[in-house]
Amino acid sequence: MDFLKGWAHMTTVSELVGAARAAERAVLTEEESKRLLREAGIPVTETRLAASRRAAQATAKELGFPVVLKLASPDITHKSDVGGVRLSLKSASEVGKAYDEILASAREKAPRARIQGVTVQPMAPPGVEVIAGMSKDPQFGPVLMFGLGGVAVEVLKDVAFRIVPLTRRDAAQMIREIKSYPLLTGFRSIPPVDLKALEEILLRLSELADATPELAEIDLNPIVATQSGAVAVDARVVLEPVKEG
Amino acid sequence: MEKRRKENLDRAFKPRVIAVVGDKGSSDYNWLRNMMDATKNGTKLYSVQVDERETPGIQALGITNLKSLREVPEPIDYVLCAVPRKFSPLIVKDCADLKVGALALFTSGFAETHEEMGAQLQDEVVRIAREADLNLIGPNCLGLYNAAAGIRCGGRDQFVGEGGRVSFISSSGTHATSMTLGAYQAGILPAKGVSMGNAVVVDVADWLEYLGQDPQTEIIAMYIEGVRDGRKFFTTLREVAARKPVLIWKGGQTPDGARAATSHTAALAQPMTLWDAMIRQVGAIRVDDIEDVVNTLKALCWVKPPRGPRLGLMTMTGGPSVIFSDACAKQGLTVPPLTEESYQRLSPWFTVVGGSYQNPLDYASSFTSVEVGRQMLDILNEDDNIDGIIQDVGIAMGFRRNAEPDFSEKVLDMIQEFKGQTEKPYMAVMTGSGREREALDFRPRLAQRQIACFATYADAARTMRRLLDYYANKATLAAEGSVLEMT
Repeated sequence: MDFLKGWAHMTTVSELVGAARAAERAVLTEEESKRLLREAGIPVTETRLAASRRAAQATAKELGFPVVLKLASPDITHKSDVGGVRLSLKSASEVGKAYDEILASAREKAPRARIQGVTVQPMAPPGVEVIAGMSKDPQFGPVLMFGLGGVAVEVLKDVAFRIVPLTRRDAAQMIREIKSYPLLTGFRSIPPVDLKALEEILLRLSELADATPELAEIDLNPIVATQSGAVAVDARVVLEPVKEG
Repeated sequence: MEKRRKENLDRAFKPRVIAVVGDKGSSDYNWLRNMMDATKNGTKLYSVQVDERETPGIQALGITNLKSLREVPEPIDYVLCAVPRKFSPLIVKDCADLKVGALALFTSGFAETHEEMGAQLQDEVVRIAREADLNLIGPNCLGLYNAAAGIRCGGRDQFVGEGGRVSFISSSGTHATSMTLGAYQAGILPAKGVSMGNAVVVDVADWLEYLGQDPQTEIIAMYIEGVRDGRKFFTTLREVAARKPVLIWKGGQTPDGARAATSHTAALAQPMTLWDAMIRQVGAIRVDDIEDVVNTLKALCWVKPPRGPRLGLMTMTGGPSVIFSDACAKQGLTVPPLTEESYQRLSPWFTVVGGSYQNPLDYASSFTSVEVGRQMLDILNEDDNIDGIIQDVGIAMGFRRNAEPDFSEKVLDMIQEFKGQTEKPYMAVMTGSGREREALDFRPRLAQRQIACFATYADAARTMRRLLDYYANKATLAAEGSVLEMT
């Protein structure tokens, strides 16, 4: 794991960006992405690297069950495509089994990928899945997107956009603009979610994008929103190519 | 925009000396004629044309023709140039050396052609202009319009004279013209305008900033096909729209339209979702066609701000009542039942047979006098369930016309008086169905009294929606502004 030497102690956004660039990597790993986002004030699930089966089991015990195991590899962004995600693991033996399966599957499906092990994460509480992201428009620069997770985004394109920088009003209106908004205010058995927490995430994202031109893309997919908060469960940060000269 | 560039645009908008380069008899010296009214205010107008065959025609207009801009014996404030594109760098160089206020290049055939020569020529004229800090307008444009100064960009039927308070920015010369003509015909006096074409040197954000600072301009309407520097535009729009209503009519909303825009003004394709987001963020007003532009201007100028979506409709007969209600509902407006008190006050004029007063108020057979019409308006005005009133005035012009020749005039007086007294928004509808000629004669009589009248129910409903969204958005922006000031 030479390519990741020294990463663990890095905390600031610029340190993370600088180190990734030095390693000529444009896409940050999930663990790095979350560290960067946490630094920017965005709530993310605790995400710890475990380089061995035994380490994964120990970490899971520390975090408390149930946990999630995800493949940790700087070369694989779509972890579920290579069988790299296991949810709701309730014991050390389940964690151990999942560890073996994830690594075997990844080695089979992506034999050339560098593999660090797994990340161990606490299972997020049940809630409504939403997504938020930042991308760059060639003319308008950084733009934020918000939508409901899953089918609503992929099929129905039920998303709202705003140009950075956002005001609090922009963040509030953006959330209320999507067609699925009634699902966030309590619908049948689904309790209403913490809209303020979602607004805060959008505002922090806007600040981060505004202050860090090196970031090309941010994906928080999904964010789990509950009655008392919202937390990004998966995240991906992509850097701009280094400008020549 | 730098101070000197702004001052030079001031000079160009109110020129003491104008030069038109390359005008020809084959176009009936349209550019020179466009500027003739400026000379009544003491402005000097010169022609520059090297083709000697054109000299007699130009002199016949009483205009001095010269061979070069350098022969003009005094500083030039505004140059309009229509020479073939290969000569344009020479003219731009002259204007740069002579430090003119602004140069509008009517000449086209630049980046919008997407061929090498066009792109190279554009780069060349832009480079010369930038090095000299010259306000180059266009290329591929009709240039400046200023009613008060008597300079036109779009033909001799364009209004000149004491200007109004609405100014225009347009990627397209035709739309620059049609917006000023359309507004004028509807009774809204235009102030200033610019057909900005490819908008390379003085770009769209510069025009917005300039008209945003112009004390005469209270409302800005723009037709725009694209922006090069989106961030500069966004920042400028946010600043200007916080102070003045800005209407945005975006051309190239679809992939096919965007392709047409690319070959029209070399505009880059941009997703409409981002434009909509931006418009909402800054509190501007999206409009979708020329009627929408003119209708929204009428509403902003003449209709009081609505406080909610609940409308009281006064309609003529049953079928139109249904269609009118549908048109409002499609815009998210409502046509709710009136209060019990209102029904009691209305009941003397209505019977169960022939005419409903549930809202819509079908007043076709109850409109027996001007006074009754006024009382019905008063009842709607005093009804707490109603935020705004739209009245179909179709029959007002025809009803009892034979018995009372000046009946329609009295109705208009009554509406005008009511409109002046109510705090609720009032709009009129006069459809033309089957009687377009009469409607065309009648609508200006409403406009003279500053009563906003629309040609269809759908137009009235859409315009009420625009107004409602604009003022609601403005209120949330203002609320946030005050919160930010406090913290």
